[in-house]
Amino acid sequence: MTTCGEFIVRLLESYGVDTIFGIPGVHTVELYRGLADSPIRHVTPRHEQGAGFMADGYARVTGKPGACFIITGPGMTNILTAMGQAYADSIPMLVISSVNQTDQLAMGDGRLHELPSQRNMTAGVAAFSHTVLTPAQLPQVMARAFAVFNSARPRPVHIEIPIDVISMPIDAALSAKAWPLPSRPAPAAVAIKQAADWLAAAKSPAIVLGGGAVEGAAEALALAEHLDAPVVHTVNAKGILPPGHKLRAGENMALPPIRKLLESADVVLAVGTEFGETEMYPDARPLQLQGKLIRIDLDPEQLMRGLPADCPITADAKLALSDLNRQLASHKHTDRNGAARAAETFKAAATHWWPAVGVHQRIADVILKTLPDVIMVGDSTEPVYALNQSYQAPTPRAYFNSSTGYGTLGYGLPAGIGAKLAAPKRPVVVLAGDGGLQFTIGELAAAVEAEVPVIVFLWNNHGYGEIKTYMQNRQIKPIGVDIFTPDFQVIAKGFGCAAVHVENLDQLPQQLTEATKRKVPTIIEMRPQA
Amino acid sequence: MGANQIGGHAAISILETYGVDTVFGIPGVHTLDLYRGIADRKMRHIGVRHEQGAGFMADGYARASGKPGVCCLITGPGLLNAATPIGQAYSDSVPVLVLCSVNASKDLGKGRGRLHEISDQRAAIAPMTAFARTIYEAGELPQAVADAYKVFETGRPRPVVLEMPLDMLSAPADLGRPQRLKAEAPKAKPEDLAAAAKLIDAARTPLVIAGGGTVDCAPALRAFVEKSGALCVTTTAGKGVFPDSHPASLGASLSLPATQDYLAKADLVIAIGTEMSETDSWNDFVTFNGKLIRIDLDAYTLTRDYEPTVGLLAEAGATLQALMPMIAAKAPVDLDKAAAIRTRNRSGLTPLQQKHAKVLDAIRAAVPADGVISTDMTQIAYTANTYFTCEEPRTWLHPVGFGTLGYAMPAAIGAKIACPDRDVVAIAGDAGFLFTVQDLGTAVEQNLALPIIVWNNDLLAQIQMDMVRLDIGEIGVRPRNPNYLALAEAFGCRAVRPDSLSGLTQVIKEAFRADGPTLIEVHENAAYLA
Ligand SMILES: Cc1ncc(C[n+]2csc(CCOP(=O)(O)OP(=O)(O)O)c2C)c(N)n1
Ligand SMILES: Cc1ncc(C[n+]2csc(CCOP(=O)(O)OP(=O)(O)O)c2C)c(N)n1
Ligand SMILES: [Mg+2]
Ligand SMILES: [Mg+2]
Repeated sequence: MTTCGEFIVRLLESYGVDTIFGIPGVHTVELYRGLADSPIRHVTPRHEQGAGFMADGYARVTGKPGACFIITGPGMTNILTAMGQAYADSIPMLVISSVNQTDQLAMGDGRLHELPSQRNMTAGVAAFSHTVLTPAQLPQVMARAFAVFNSARPRPVHIEIPIDVISMPIDAALSAKAWPLPSRPAPAAVAIKQAADWLAAAKSPAIVLGGGAVEGAAEALALAEHLDAPVVHTVNAKGILPPGHKLRAGENMALPPIRKLLESADVVLAVGTEFGETEMYPDARPLQLQGKLIRIDLDPEQLMRGLPADCPITADAKLALSDLNRQLASHKHTDRNGAARAAETFKAAATHWWPAVGVHQRIADVILKTLPDVIMVGDSTEPVYALNQSYQAPTPRAYFNSSTGYGTLGYGLPAGIGAKLAAPKRPVVVLAGDGGLQFTIGELAAAVEAEVPVIVFLWNNHGYGEIKTYMQNRQIKPIGVDIFTPDFQVIAKGFGCAAVHVENLDQLPQQLTEATKRKVPTIIEMRPQA
Repeated sequence: MGANQIGGHAAISILETYGVDTVFGIPGVHTLDLYRGIADRKMRHIGVRHEQGAGFMADGYARASGKPGVCCLITGPGLLNAATPIGQAYSDSVPVLVLCSVNASKDLGKGRGRLHEISDQRAAIAPMTAFARTIYEAGELPQAVADAYKVFETGRPRPVVLEMPLDMLSAPADLGRPQRLKAEAPKAKPEDLAAAAKLIDAARTPLVIAGGGTVDCAPALRAFVEKSGALCVTTTAGKGVFPDSHPASLGASLSLPATQDYLAKADLVIAIGTEMSETDSWNDFVTFNGKLIRIDLDAYTLTRDYEPTVGLLAEAGATLQALMPMIAAKAPVDLDKAAAIRTRNRSGLTPLQQKHAKVLDAIRAAVPADGVISTDMTQIAYTANTYFTCEEPRTWLHPVGFGTLGYAMPAAIGAKIACPDRDVVAIAGDAGFLFTVQDLGTAVEQNLALPIIVWNNDLLAQIQMDMVRLDIGEIGVRPRNPNYLALAEAFGCRAVRPDSLSGLTQVIKEAFRADGPTLIEVHENAAYLA
């Protein structure tokens, strides 16, 4: 006999899930029945928030959904913030949880782990949330979840299974095979023609690439080069143009030169971006585009948010970009002065960087030189806000952080663990502040246990530096920002990790190299004074 | 009050009107103007290391003192990080008031990808609150806070969330001298009181179940039990409201067979301020054959699951006092039985529970009667819920219904801050402790004389037992634990591993007098427990 719990594990295997993050509890033990004999790896975080962030980091590196097993009630409330971050950044995440038994749902009897409605709570941070009332629903619900991950704008999906259903027997005829998934939408030919005509005729086009363009990275690069158009990346798009590319015009659409580039372009092509506030720091006034705007997005609703487009195209970025390349192939490549415009914009934009950007970029240069294929995973901390402006990632999916969108703290370490599990051969460096690292410090134990040697670059300024600066700028007496700071060296060692201080940048390469040889995490701590 | 007051000031001054003098939180860009109010009004602010800690501290503050605990949180991740404590406070009926920011009113519901945005944070949190409300103008604050206090003081207390858009927080606002609005608790109808008195007088073997709703009327409860000749059992939330040393006490033993046998035969059950829920009896439903009087402030609870013969929708203390002159004084018939039940309840301990009992005795010996014991979801606390004796209410804190991990230490911090003159101790398991370990920093920063006992079995013990019992195979239940002593020392905390039971008592006593927290590790395999 196969139970529903065992069947779920088999379904997940069929969809290619290879890692599950979770803390087992009385309510979820039956989900674990199938896991012992499954090739799926189970990683145990120290808090469900860690599970969610790990799944997120895993997903951003692989493009595949990160999967979690979560208990009813407190497990689900614990993972909410991680779902919020994944929702805001369009990251695929599968959260499978238990819920109280069917005949007790919503009764408010004060049962263990009970919530009035778990589904209502997660609805705002998930593409959908489904309660499985009979095991026979499972193949279809799982297919629907993977359709979201694969074929729509990816977002978290929550599937909850009442504890009586988890242990029910499965009808032997029910197949655990993955369903063929829907293809992604191809662009309408008329829309592509329209866009191609405008682009072909453009004299000063510019391109904005968002996180949604990552899977069409090669096509985006080819198109930019063919059009000779300067490119602006959002944080989640970094790496689409290789470092040092002549068309890179910079990041942060609020910097006046970048704003000017886009506002004065005769055609702007924006791919997979929501023009979010966190891409426009500190001045989130919407762009006033003079020229035409072509937007490509997988989500038609999204095309109606942010800037209204003259030509909104609902399509998979890769498909739309290759169609555009094909349409434009017959047009001769014309020199649109792209490299010069990009260089000029970039140079002028850099004069707007605040002093810390230079400091952190020098650190990043050292990291990148020592570990050329590094994946940098960041928290909401000064170095991250700085590098969002200046850093050039070696590849797509190699620079991401929680300062975008939802903007939470505590993301760096667990997301870095997820990233390292997804790409064990690449070095993963977590950029964390002392405040953010404390949020999820317990996950050091999970990393030691799972032998995940992430490298944590800890920027220790003894407090919530970013917020302190804000308070000072707004004439508020600093309160709650100069926090007591523990000794991270001793903490790290207490957890069985390595920990070092670096006094200056010259010491960094050697410490990074040594860290890559370890089986456990290394904390490399640096003070602003250094 | 005066010139240049803004919404942030108004929010804080209305809290002052209600006697709030302490708030828990972490500032962020979105709450700067709220913190302007905190700084200018000199409200005490307890800065935490994760908003989950803020929520649990507010809970512990409220449970220990009876005063609502208040948090100030940022939009999105700040609020959702507190979702678990809010859920815990919901299921245990604890008054917690959350003030948080939300995106500007013109942006609400637009999905513009603004910082910290989710589609509808109010809807996400609402299921776990008495109510969650958006405050568009400061002028709405007096009514909103009055409504919250109506819930806290005259209803079954539950969390309340007030979210304030950024524009409201920064807009000019002068509330003048806001008045405290008073609400009356419902009173029982005379004819219902008379019917109840008649049942009480007719009963031969009445049994009182005293729940968390009675903690503020211990003297009235005791007088009532003594006059009516009843025996008294408490729920976990009611622990101590009726002294365990009283001859009519059955302790907090609803889950134990001897008590359940007695309950089944009692000819009258008087359930006061209790949901009569699963997490007290650990049975789907308790069975009894006698008549039932229920007293509760909440109409829904009054009739849920068990239809009362007489239901009194009223506050416990006032109702008991009103009943006193109406009932005849009777000698208790079953004092001998009570003694026998107590003995039986304390005898059937498994070898593991006997170990727990030794440790619990050593703790009891150190903690004075009014001392507060804050516990987590750990096996030793499950044993203690029935075994540990309490003489006073508001001394036993346990995350009963929602059953979350990571509660004990931050709730103890909140309790100690609320009641600096009482001794407070936390008891957490090795895994539960790590859920919120970062707030050790808060305890150090606040110089709290707080012993924190980590009950270490290097296991998620309850879950491991279930997995073995259900033949699932062990997954994710044998954590690679840190060195707890080193970890504590890194936080600037004293750390001790006592080597005898008397040593344990001694270090707890010392910790009560220390100038900061003390982590005390007790390992299940310690030689002195063999
Ligand atoms: C859950 C959550 N709480 C609060 C904030 C507000 N916040 C943003 S950055 C920051 C400071 C973080 O301190 P640290 O990690 O030490 O970085 P630093 O700014 O000092 O570099 C805070 C408190 C947030 N973004 N998310
Ligand atoms: C947030 C949350 N996640 C998971 C659980 C399920 N759970 C209940 S008890 C427990 C084990 C806790 O281990 P520990 O703190 O070491 O205590 P022990 O039972 O070993 O004494 C777990 C994982 C829970 N109650 N809450
Ligand atoms: Mg800092
Ligand atoms: Mg344990």
